[in-house]
Amino acid sequence: MSINHMILKNLKKNLKNYYLYVFALIFSVGLYFSFVTLQYDPGVDNMETSAKMTAAIKAASVMLVVIVTVFLVYANSIFIKRRGKEIGLFQLIGMTKGRIFRILTIENLLIYIGSMIIGIFVGFSFSKLIQMVLFKATGIDGVASLNFSSEAFVQTVIVFFAIFGVIMLTNWIFIKAQSILALFRVTSKTEDRIKGITIREIIMGVLGLVLIITGYYVSSKMFDGDFSEMTELLIVMVFILGSVIVGTYLFYKGSIRFVANLLRKRKEGYLNINDVLSLSSIMFRMKSNSLLLTIITTVSALAIALSSLSYISYYSAEKTAKQNIPDHFSLSKEQNATLFEAELKAKGYEFTTKELDILQVTVLTKDILEKQPSSTAFDASEMILPVISDENITDIDVSPKEAVFTGFSKILDTVISFENGGIIQLKGKEDVTAQNYLGMKQDYILPYTYSDGGLPTVVVDQTTFAALQKDRDEEIQDEPLTYIGFNLQNDAKLPEATDLFQSLAFEDDQGKNSQYEAFVQQKENMGLIMFIVGFLGLTFLITSGCILYFKQMNEGEEERPNYTVLRKLGFTQTDLSRGIRGKQLVNFGIPLVVGLLHGYFAVRSGWFFFGTELYTPMLMVMGIYTLLYSIFGGLSVVYYKKVIREAL
Amino acid sequence: MTNVLEASKIQKSYGNKFMKQDVLMGIDVSIARGEFISIMGASGSGKTTLLNVLSSIDRVSGGSIKIEGQEMTKQKEKQLAEFRKRHLGFIFQEYNLLDTLTVKENVLLPLSIAKVSKEEATAAFDALADELGIRDIQDKYPNEISGGQKQRTSAARAFVHNPSIIFADEPTGALDSKSASDLLNKLSDLNQTREATIAMVTHDPVAASYSSRVIFIRDGRIYTQLNKGTESRQSFLKDIMKTQGVLGGVHYEH
Repeated sequence: MSINHMILKNLKKNLKNYYLYVFALIFSVGLYFSFVTLQYDPGVDNMETSAKMTAAIKAASVMLVVIVTVFLVYANSIFIKRRGKEIGLFQLIGMTKGRIFRILTIENLLIYIGSMIIGIFVGFSFSKLIQMVLFKATGIDGVASLNFSSEAFVQTVIVFFAIFGVIMLTNWIFIKAQSILALFRVTSKTEDRIKGITIREIIMGVLGLVLIITGYYVSSKMFDGDFSEMTELLIVMVFILGSVIVGTYLFYKGSIRFVANLLRKRKEGYLNINDVLSLSSIMFRMKSNSLLLTIITTVSALAIALSSLSYISYYSAEKTAKQNIPDHFSLSKEQNATLFEAELKAKGYEFTTKELDILQVTVLTKDILEKQPSSTAFDASEMILPVISDENITDIDVSPKEAVFTGFSKILDTVISFENGGIIQLKGKEDVTAQNYLGMKQDYILPYTYSDGGLPTVVVDQTTFAALQKDRDEEIQDEPLTYIGFNLQNDAKLPEATDLFQSLAFEDDQGKNSQYEAFVQQKENMGLIMFIVGFLGLTFLITSGCILYFKQMNEGEEERPNYTVLRKLGFTQTDLSRGIRGKQLVNFGIPLVVGLLHGYFAVRSGWFFFGTELYTPMLMVMGIYTLLYSIFGGLSVVYYKKVIREAL
Repeated sequence: MTNVLEASKIQKSYGNKFMKQDVLMGIDVSIARGEFISIMGASGSGKTTLLNVLSSIDRVSGGSIKIEGQEMTKQKEKQLAEFRKRHLGFIFQEYNLLDTLTVKENVLLPLSIAKVSKEEATAAFDALADELGIRDIQDKYPNEISGGQKQRTSAARAFVHNPSIIFADEPTGALDSKSASDLLNKLSDLNQTREATIAMVTHDPVAASYSSRVIFIRDGRIYTQLNKGTESRQSFLKDIMKTQGVLGGVHYEH
């Protein structure tokens, strides 16, 4: 049998084992290629936002390369260890290490080139789809076209050959470092020797749980107002990250074993088949894989949190736009408003207008101020706030001695908070009038530009307002004094009307705002971020799922003798399969649940910076994540079933 | 005395139609209740195959095997597993304990399949633990104990559910002589006190001398049988060795 013959035979045998590796390789190449194609695509290049988009895609493709490299190198290291025996045998029959390395390289190269060709083809055929997804997500009207970009092709080939070089380097180091004897023993010494639980592990276990729970607790308190200074917040964030990550590590290293041991003690030695099969994973293997699991869990959590957050802001783009700009259009100059009104009428739109007078007044809030950041230059006890009369506002009616705040942004709410009642003072040029403060309303009346980006608007009675107007301090009137809002009767006509609004030659107007435009802008930005985070998350998910699957494949092989014993003792294949399902629920479930929990607490602590809707978008992201993840769990169960079937 | 196991004309061959290799060529065995038999033979004589076939781990190519009156050869995989878990016990040369379970958990494993209550299980363990001397190590893991202790654990696992018959494949093969004789004494004690039926495969005449009957296999056929009767173990050992001398060695057919 010649060497070439042997290589081909090996290849045939290995392909069956490594189909998932090949799949992941094809997937990575395909994704990378279509990403790079996007970067060179003339369709994307022509877009207004192209500079931003190309930069974002470039950054993403670098991240993609990092994820893919780590994955491929890791997967390869698992496989070369599995073939330790074979390599030992080659050495035994007198092959030099260099020759073995050459055989392995040729073998890998064949798999690699094959996968790359398929991957590029797949990537090419999917690049249109990906482009369509991008256009859809950002709401850009572009026509996705199928272009084969030779630049993208060259770049993909170069990048993946560089990765191939890295893989071969690790293989060479592996082969070089092994002696014949060690190669024969390679699989048996990878796992820790099995021993009873020690005091140190118990301490680690408890500490792990405590650290994670502390991290969660602090994260839920982070924006409750206990920490309001920037440096303080930063320290808290670092603390949470550290505590959760270290906690996760200790959790895998000790807690799982510790808790499982408690449950096991209660059984007094009488274990059923599910216990027996899951035990080895829970109690011994998770511990030796704790670093890997910690990385997977942490990055999963990151991916879940980022996708959730970007989806939250995408999902609530409309609501956010409505909060920031309460009316469809707004203007502050009378002649601009007249022009727009005339145009709207001429085009046959039905609409309503409202006009408000606004005053900027210095408001002293010392009495009702609950807390505020102490170190910043901003002083919340003396703020310049927009004041309006209750006359034009339907839901709010106050007496001359009373005032309410409304439209306070949720983000500022985390650093500045007010009591529910008290006395505020409105400072005019001459006089200071005290008003009875009645609390905070949720309605947004003025665009955020009138209130310094989110400070509350003060609503007072018409008589008070008139008095304030007479006594106004001209120096602080830096915002327009009037507000004219337009609302179309028919929301569906908004896009057209927005085009009209944009095309009109208004005089310079500080109060010019368009709700729909803000919405489109937000959607475009967040769509792009979501697209990129989504694809990176997907890549990470698939690669980490593959790694867990490979690990399980190894574990299955190592446990084959156990299944033989169990089947001899009289456990049926069905019994064992049921046990395996339980075991895989634990193996894939624990990292998944921990990742989801981490992600949930991360999202919950700061989601309101990103949008107005928490649960729907977050649960959708988590649902997709869980679903994809379960596929790998399912595949591993199928693999185990095969091992069990062959065990007797 | 009733027979626990009755096998007649068992045949076993491997390979396909063109490349057939016969391992067992028509063997008749019957084992009475409470008997302790040994199966001896040179390497490749088919003794382990015989044990595997008798214990339903492997399928016969022909013939019939009845255990407790039930015909084993026609049963489906699932029924066989069911049968094994209730009526058979196993001791293997490599102990075949699960590394991830403690000694006690390993021993109680067959009871958990049979869904025995926890109290009964604990009682069954207690009864055996002292006899086999594994009480002190009950919370240890297999790789923390010696080979002898492992094999006693394995024996306890075979006895714990009071099976109709226990199959032992070279149980002393990996043990030093002290642990081996210790184990064999315990096996024959349990054979006496519990009236357990034991079928043991071995190539060691000393091990075989602990049993009450020895079946010699050569080239897939029964060569001869020796009964201990009222003989002492020493003289039975001599008989065995003599027979082995005749049986052993390479016979050239040409």
